[in-house]
Amino acid sequence: MIIMELNEFVAHFAEQFEETDASVFTPETKYHDLEEWSSLIGLSIIAMVDDEYDVLIKGNDVKNSVTIEDLFNIVKERV
Amino acid sequence: MELTNYGITLRRLTEDKIEMVRQWRNDPKIQQYMEFRDYITPEMQAAWFKRIDNDNNYYFIIVYEGKEIGLINIKDIDYDQKTGEPGIFIYDDDCLDSDVALRASLCMGDFIWDVLNLESLYIHVLRDNTRAIKYNLLRGYKLAENQELVQNQLYTLTVEDAKNNKRMNQFKSIFNK
Repeated sequence: MIIMELNEFVAHFAEQFEETDASVFTPETKYHDLEEWSSLIGLSIIAMVDDEYDVLIKGNDVKNSVTIEDLFNIVKERV
Repeated sequence: MELTNYGITLRRLTEDKIEMVRQWRNDPKIQQYMEFRDYITPEMQAAWFKRIDNDNNYYFIIVYEGKEIGLINIKDIDYDQKTGEPGIFIYDDDCLDSDVALRASLCMGDFIWDVLNLESLYIHVLRDNTRAIKYNLLRGYKLAENQELVQNQLYTLTVEDAKNNKRMNQFKSIFNK
């Protein structure tokens, strides 16, 4: 069940990118290393988490997490 | 004067802070994005402050989690046309790649629309600065007419577009939770 939740989170995360192929994204993806990554996408992630999970994350959560799974774990703790 | 909202405080620039701002402004990491790129001396900074310390220009130090991290402003306010030109830079590297700039911009926006009662804003963005363009489109700015081929393109934002921007209203709600 947790794996499915994580995969769903990864899919939502990937939807915030316009140019990066969805196949690139896995729980282990170090998203700051992606060429398309920007603070603007970081804002989209914050909005996505609010929309999909009704959870508040801050810019520092996005900035300080390394992998998508790191951020997923923060969201999961706050659900 | 101090404005606090969205988890951020904007403190109007005072003379005792202009040396700190001068040092930020002369740092190549900030200077490279500015139209005026000459080295700024203390005398130039003092003269600049005398020019902008009035009701036609509002410069604020951005304070986040108790730390002074950058500068946000609106300059050349025309109260007859109800317009002006905003600007911002974040000096503190810890606050780059975060939501701090947007928090400050939203706080400043409330001041611009609801206190100064302006009705539009304008900015210039280099046409190849795609990240800045995307960010400003998100904010609700629109490319002005006949700007497609211009290098430094003019964008405008109306009070209606700013206040009816659902995404920005969502961020206001998020930042105040």
